[in-house]
Amino acid sequence: MATTIPDAVRSPAREATHVVAAQPYLNPYLAGIGLGLVLLAAFLTMGRGLGASGAFSAAVAWALNAVAPGYVARNEFLAPYVGDVATHPLKTWLVFEVMGVFAGALLSGLLAGRVRRTIEKGPRVSNASRLALAVAGGALMAVGAHLARGCTSGQALTGGALLNAGSWAFMMCVFGGAYAVAWLFRGQWR
Amino acid sequence: MTIPGRWSRLSLSQRLARVAFALGLLAVLARTERGRVVALDLKELATIIDREGDHVGAAEVAGWIVSGRADYRLIDLRSEKEYAAYHIPTAENVTLSALPDAGLLANERMVLYSEGGLHAIQAWMLMRAKGHRNVYTLRGGLDQWRDEVLFPTLAPDATGEERGRFERSVAMARFFGGSPRTGDKESTVARVPEMPKIEVSAGTASAAPKAGRKKKEGC
Amino acid sequence: MEMSAPLFKFGLFGEEASLVVAFAIGIGFGFFLERAGFGSARKLVAQFYLTDLAVFKVMFTAIVTAMLGVTYLAWAGVLDLSLVYLVPTYWGAQVVGGLLLGAGFVIGGYCPGTSLAAVATGRIDGLAYALGIVVGTVTFAGLFPWLGGLYLAGSAGTKTLPEVLNLPYGLVVFGVVLMALGGFKGAEWVEARFGGGGEKERP
Repeated sequence: MATTIPDAVRSPAREATHVVAAQPYLNPYLAGIGLGLVLLAAFLTMGRGLGASGAFSAAVAWALNAVAPGYVARNEFLAPYVGDVATHPLKTWLVFEVMGVFAGALLSGLLAGRVRRTIEKGPRVSNASRLALAVAGGALMAVGAHLARGCTSGQALTGGALLNAGSWAFMMCVFGGAYAVAWLFRGQWR
Repeated sequence: MTIPGRWSRLSLSQRLARVAFALGLLAVLARTERGRVVALDLKELATIIDREGDHVGAAEVAGWIVSGRADYRLIDLRSEKEYAAYHIPTAENVTLSALPDAGLLANERMVLYSEGGLHAIQAWMLMRAKGHRNVYTLRGGLDQWRDEVLFPTLAPDATGEERGRFERSVAMARFFGGSPRTGDKESTVARVPEMPKIEVSAGTASAAPKAGRKKKEGC
Repeated sequence: MEMSAPLFKFGLFGEEASLVVAFAIGIGFGFFLERAGFGSARKLVAQFYLTDLAVFKVMFTAIVTAMLGVTYLAWAGVLDLSLVYLVPTYWGAQVVGGLLLGAGFVIGGYCPGTSLAAVATGRIDGLAYALGIVVGTVTFAGLFPWLGGLYLAGSAGTKTLPEVLNLPYGLVVFGVVLMALGGFKGAEWVEARFGGGGEKERP
């Protein structure tokens, strides 16, 4: 059983220095309602949904543009993220939203005593392997997200709520693809 | 067992599930046409048309272009071929049928024009019905653009005031690659002048506004 | 009731203010992601080992909540649904993209949004994952000239489920709610069976 031993048991001294002990997570249904209301707020205020992968694209386009603007201008994928010289590529709705995601998660973590420098992994894999797989997984996922024009927040959540046909197909394939390779990578998690 | 009694025995999840079910069931009756059927506020539209708040003059738009004003979009509703042959500098080509789906923001200011202005007026109706508040037509369309801006005519029996105005429009015409004409109306109209080539942009960002437009709204 | 939403598209505020709105909404997003435990790769991945199905529960509760909200507000004439942006459908690209994203999810342990929550709460592997996203984006951009066909595969324009299924909007909404409720019931059963007596991932 892959349950973690609470800090308090492992190291009483360390636990004593924590101001707040790690609280259990919120009921998933309540968290889902909260998330849904945030998404609804985005629809009502902006007429758009959430997103994350697009912010990474903007950041990459901006960074590359600083060193190789000619290449970025010719690259059909990156060019629209830089656009004209009028506005800064990072001054977009998504980039600001993503900064908010970071801040909001930090806030929630601090309130619940869940901010801790750690590496999430199963008991049978080394830190190095885990980090390497994290990079690989991130790269693979990024290619998928750009192909699909979105990730779980942009396509699955947003498109799902708006009954977007492509988003639902995407969502089912995300679950399908994940379940398909889960067995292969059980060594990392179980 | 009373209803409140039953309700209090349910867990949170069960209560949420029942609420969701009820809301979902009621939703069967919902009507949410995605903007294909719209409602028109007749009084509002009639008032706007009466006040002439629905159009802008050709000379005014010409002034905007010359001064490099960029807080509006100029939309050419004609076909691609006609657009390629000649279009007002800084104009974008969006055909009438593509207009509803063109992703124009409800608060974006836009000036629509067509050959004579009829399609522009129809498009104006469409856009206003969809909820766009800041939409105008170019009064008289391209025909008026030709007459007023490109090829302003000075009648031989013009008054001093008219001559004064003509001088100003001469500069404007030259800017857009047109040519002012003198002489009486009948003789000048008979000679159909050639439309200027579209290279006339003099610094305004008319080149492919779509490519320069940043990727918005995606994720 | 008069249509007045989405507020931004009716001119209630401008571009600069919309960036503040973006930040605020992002805070809500990140807050609830972390609340749900989605800053933890172990919690997320447990979905695919059937021990903790919070991912499914949170996602579909959120979808149903927002979907019902949109439906009722559009029905009431407050929200102009045609002004809410819908990502165009590309069947081929989105199917392949989804499969790749799912695989990357299990291999890496996160998705873009949750990786940010992970980094915010101190996960080094979240940082590695974000780095991976950058690598993947650069790679994608580099391969883009050759991916043209796949990228545009199955282009169908803006398509909703009611259009594709040729069913009334409200009926599809009800169907999604039923499906979600059934899924939650099934999830509880699966967790009890495979989760070893409901041992969920704890912080």
